[in-house]
Amino acid sequence: MPYSITQSCVGCQACKKTCPVTAIHGERKEVHAIDDSLCIDCGACGRVCPHGAVLDRHGNPCAMVKRAQWKKPRISVDKCMSCTICIETCPVNCLALSPAMHLKNPHGYPYLHDDKACIGCGFCALECPVEAISMITPQAAHSAGQSDGAGPDV
Amino acid sequence: MDRGYMGKILMVDLGSGTITDEAVPDSVYENYLSGLGLAARILYDRIPAGADPLGPENVLGFVSGLLTGTGSLFSGRWMVVAKSPLTGGWGDANCGGTFAPAIKRNGYDGIFFTGISEKPCLLYVKNGRPEIRDASHLWGKDTVETEELLRQEFGHHARVAAIGPEGERMSLISGISNDKGRMAARSGLGAVMGAKRLKAVVLDGKKRIRVHDRSEVNRLSRMCNRWVRFQLPLGPSMVVGLLGTLLRIMPTAMAQDGLIYKMILRQWGTGGLNQMSPEWGDSPIKNWKGSNVDWPWRKSKSADPDLIKKTEEIKYHCHSCPLGCGGICKMTGKYSETHKPEYETVLAVGGLCMNEDTNSLFTMNELLNRAGMDTISAGATLAFAMECFENGLLTPKDLEGIDLSWGNSSGMIAMLHKMIDRSGIGDVLADGVKVASRKIGKGSEKYAIHAGGQEPAMHDGRQDPGFAVHYSVEPTPGRHTIGSQLYYEMFQLWKRVKGLPGKWPFQIYHKNSKYRADESKAREAAACSSYMCVVNGAGLCLFGTFLGIKRTPTFDWLNAVTGWNRTPEQYMEIGRRIQTLKQAFNVKHGIEPRENRLHDRAVGRPPQLEGANRGRVVDIEKMMSDYWVQFGWDPSTGKPTPQTMERLGIGTGQR
Repeated sequence: MPYSITQSCVGCQACKKTCPVTAIHGERKEVHAIDDSLCIDCGACGRVCPHGAVLDRHGNPCAMVKRAQWKKPRISVDKCMSCTICIETCPVNCLALSPAMHLKNPHGYPYLHDDKACIGCGFCALECPVEAISMITPQAAHSAGQSDGAGPDV
Repeated sequence: MDRGYMGKILMVDLGSGTITDEAVPDSVYENYLSGLGLAARILYDRIPAGADPLGPENVLGFVSGLLTGTGSLFSGRWMVVAKSPLTGGWGDANCGGTFAPAIKRNGYDGIFFTGISEKPCLLYVKNGRPEIRDASHLWGKDTVETEELLRQEFGHHARVAAIGPEGERMSLISGISNDKGRMAARSGLGAVMGAKRLKAVVLDGKKRIRVHDRSEVNRLSRMCNRWVRFQLPLGPSMVVGLLGTLLRIMPTAMAQDGLIYKMILRQWGTGGLNQMSPEWGDSPIKNWKGSNVDWPWRKSKSADPDLIKKTEEIKYHCHSCPLGCGGICKMTGKYSETHKPEYETVLAVGGLCMNEDTNSLFTMNELLNRAGMDTISAGATLAFAMECFENGLLTPKDLEGIDLSWGNSSGMIAMLHKMIDRSGIGDVLADGVKVASRKIGKGSEKYAIHAGGQEPAMHDGRQDPGFAVHYSVEPTPGRHTIGSQLYYEMFQLWKRVKGLPGKWPFQIYHKNSKYRADESKAREAAACSSYMCVVNGAGLCLFGTFLGIKRTPTFDWLNAVTGWNRTPEQYMEIGRRIQTLKQAFNVKHGIEPRENRLHDRAVGRPPQLEGANRGRVVDIEKMMSDYWVQFGWDPSTGKPTPQTMERLGIGTGQR
């Protein structure tokens, strides 16, 4: 079951602006709705909703998280195999491939090239088969044990 | 539905402009997988017998694999399918790059086109919402320009498959390009796209691809990746070349482990074999009449893998590939960079034409990629023209002043320009050797090396008779990516599939035994075909499977992704079903499988008098017949019998 929006929506359009796949529709000051066939469960709508009006895949209300607290991918070049799965899976295209490191290692590696576009969905980390990506809150100290109210399901 | 596939296809009628989503029943995936198998079922059912390959009834499909986008490695292959205008039968071409996951990320396992558009058009799909748009402004542009313009228009992350001017002009050896020059080149499917006036397919989707057991998929991928990363220092490329010399001199051969080839691929890409292959007789030279004697070390040095590697700026990985055999190379001249010339390209426009001009290899590679032409067929056609010129069947006047003496690279480039423009003699040559020899006449057929209309690739069946068999028996004749005795050794299928002939690690055997047409060879060839049908249904890369079935766990990945609990034997049965369906497609369209037999010269008739394959003759008729028997097809005609069709559930309306 994809994400959904409850009647407590005030129509502020924050979620609509954030949704990377334009799955949310609704007029200003009216209750919005999520198109099941388009929703990819990234959870961005839940993290921006100031009224807790978004329910996640399991029907639990999502908590708003300040944008500065959203988790970002950290990529371990040692583990990375340059397969570009993460770049392709990112719904907001915020990852890019670096130029070749040096002559002895002519492979490019993914990096977060558009920090502001990242919605912290964690799909890159989820789909990386070799666990080269971890999702880290900018202030890592606060991140331990703190749920952001949303995250990818396998 | 967490089974790795999306469960629907997109049908686009370019004639009427209607676009429909079609749900595909689970039973189709269970019986045919996705990718090539799904496509085979759809094309067999929907293309009427006798349809013109360049007419509105032909169905052109772009499909991705069942494993694509699921976290399994090497799964970034997409396939183009249609009735081939080059062979008149089943046509498919396989390509890496970034296009395969984009199909699934839009919610489809395949996108199929029928009809013919009035004006040049393109299909744009954004997050599963398709629309047909005008592409008049792109008509005439080359593949790289087209892709750059489309990315400007639709965003940098849009994935593009496009034809170049060759496809527009319906050259029968044209392909479809993705990621600025990776080509789905074979079977002439660019011409089908051009005939439909479909310039490009542009995809930009972000849908999730759900799998049954992601942690198991990832575990298998990590295991596979450890083998990919295992790399020993190979030294300079000369070492690999000398290994080829050693293999030629030795009276014995050795069962090969794909791990060695993987290391060559990791270091140099497919071009790692540029010198080794001619040395041990694997590469045809001088339009298949020459040998390593005509292409000695000092000449093959023009394509020294280290020399080509020096120009490489960055390794190129297709989607989900940990290996990275491709590369982006810098070059001089009109264009600043090109995809690293692949082995096939280098040998087709190099050794096959006796061309030792290194710079021209890069030039022709980029020229052909931009024009959207198959480098194998283009090289083979040039070699054919050169031999006709040598023997006076084509005069300097016919060639409009172009000197096509063996090895004259400037003449070759000039002729390629003519072929791309389809002007004068170029028009005669632009459809491959079979059509060209028919137009030229004068007995030129004896220089037109092809199987069923398609030029075979740069692997010589006189060195490995397995190649000759697969060139001849496959529903897409002339293909080198399906099987050979070498591939069978590297697939190591006997380690998982019961009843297949096994080999010891590095087993040594006499070379003469390769030419013995016995039942075990036929079983090996049939196993290669069946396995590759599974691999192409899964969307995996051939080079990944070379690691061996235990290191690249195709069957285990399929089980983990779909939640099925099938045995390797059951998957091989699916492979047989797909292969039989493709053969049935050919029979439906009037192909006589016997007539797809490889050209006499390429099977050693007459045998070569010198070089690595001296005196070698392949008993191709017996090998073909033995192969057909393994599939339950008629041993004299190669047509699937009604009993086999019934047993596999093909002819009973099961879909």
